[in-house]
Amino acid sequence: MSNTIVVGMADYKVGKAPDKLMTAGLGSCIGICVYDTLAGAAGMAHIMLPSSNGNLQGNLAKYADTCLEMMLEDLYKLGLRKTRLKAKMAGGAQMFSFKGKVPQLKIGERNAEAVERELKKHGIPLLAADVGGTFGRTINFDIKSGELHIRTINHGEKVI
Amino acid sequence: MKIPAMRLEALKEIGNIGTGNAATSLSALLQTRVNMEVPKVWLVPVENLEKALGELDAIRVVLYLKVEGDAPGKAVFVFSLSSAQAIVQTLLRTPEPPDLFANELAQSALQEVGNILVSSFIVALSQFSGVNLQPSVPALGIDMIGAMIDSILLEEGKIDENVLIIDTTLTGLEGVQGSFLYFPEGGALDKLLGVFGI
Repeated sequence: MSNTIVVGMADYKVGKAPDKLMTAGLGSCIGICVYDTLAGAAGMAHIMLPSSNGNLQGNLAKYADTCLEMMLEDLYKLGLRKTRLKAKMAGGAQMFSFKGKVPQLKIGERNAEAVERELKKHGIPLLAADVGGTFGRTINFDIKSGELHIRTINHGEKVI
Repeated sequence: MKIPAMRLEALKEIGNIGTGNAATSLSALLQTRVNMEVPKVWLVPVENLEKALGELDAIRVVLYLKVEGDAPGKAVFVFSLSSAQAIVQTLLRTPEPPDLFANELAQSALQEVGNILVSSFIVALSQFSGVNLQPSVPALGIDMIGAMIDSILLEEGKIDENVLIIDTTLTGLEGVQGSFLYFPEGGALDKLLGVFGI
């Protein structure tokens, strides 16, 4: 039997095949999956902001840098080897724009860049990404196959 | 973090005055009596937003306005798809429910509703507290509620550990269910409540 492990906002979870990991309603947030299909284990994070900027108080799962570090620790505890880890990500949209306003921070885009940078820092290859756009995403990761299923309201479904 | 009871009461009262005024405007616009319930004031940890919003990927229609001035914040109206359709239908008197994704007239009618609701909310707040506030032009979104709210909250590239929400339910209009959320910015609370010496 396979269960679906739900990852909330500013949260991360790890799991083993044949379970699935899912997180719902990603806007400018990003869902990061780090996995090893051979070992049959994976982690999923729902991050909100690029960096903790060294502020180590409160919920550290909301930042790309600190969250990835915590999730990797947990994955190593499950016996995963760093050299075999791979990653996929989705999210980082810009949901609203105001006409004639000063350029916004484009936090979705910055989140995606931050995740890429942090993965590189840990030497984990990013195999696929579905980021940007102006729409929300719900993602479901199959730990066994390593497939990331992405659902939207009006922009179709895809698997990366 | 906890909000002292007196501040909580004051916030409810402010919410009451604002939403009362907004309900009156909406009633006039739709020519139907619309009520707004006494607002709930929540202080929600970010990771529990789901409890306040419901299913994060449920489809919702959102009208989002920024409130600028001395005590800035964000105002968000949340309607179900069918509720938004019913509002537009009442407003435009069309025989069929409009396609909100494609119908531009329906979209601008909704934005106008957002404009009127938030303006009347803000005017009441401003008059009551003497604090200068101006709403922006509304942005319309039809998508997953979690995705829209996260973008709204994260727009400035930061988020507090806890989000303060003034949450009001709209009632009275048949087939319409909606809520009005107000997110005051960090310092805005002191500004608003400071006027009353709380």
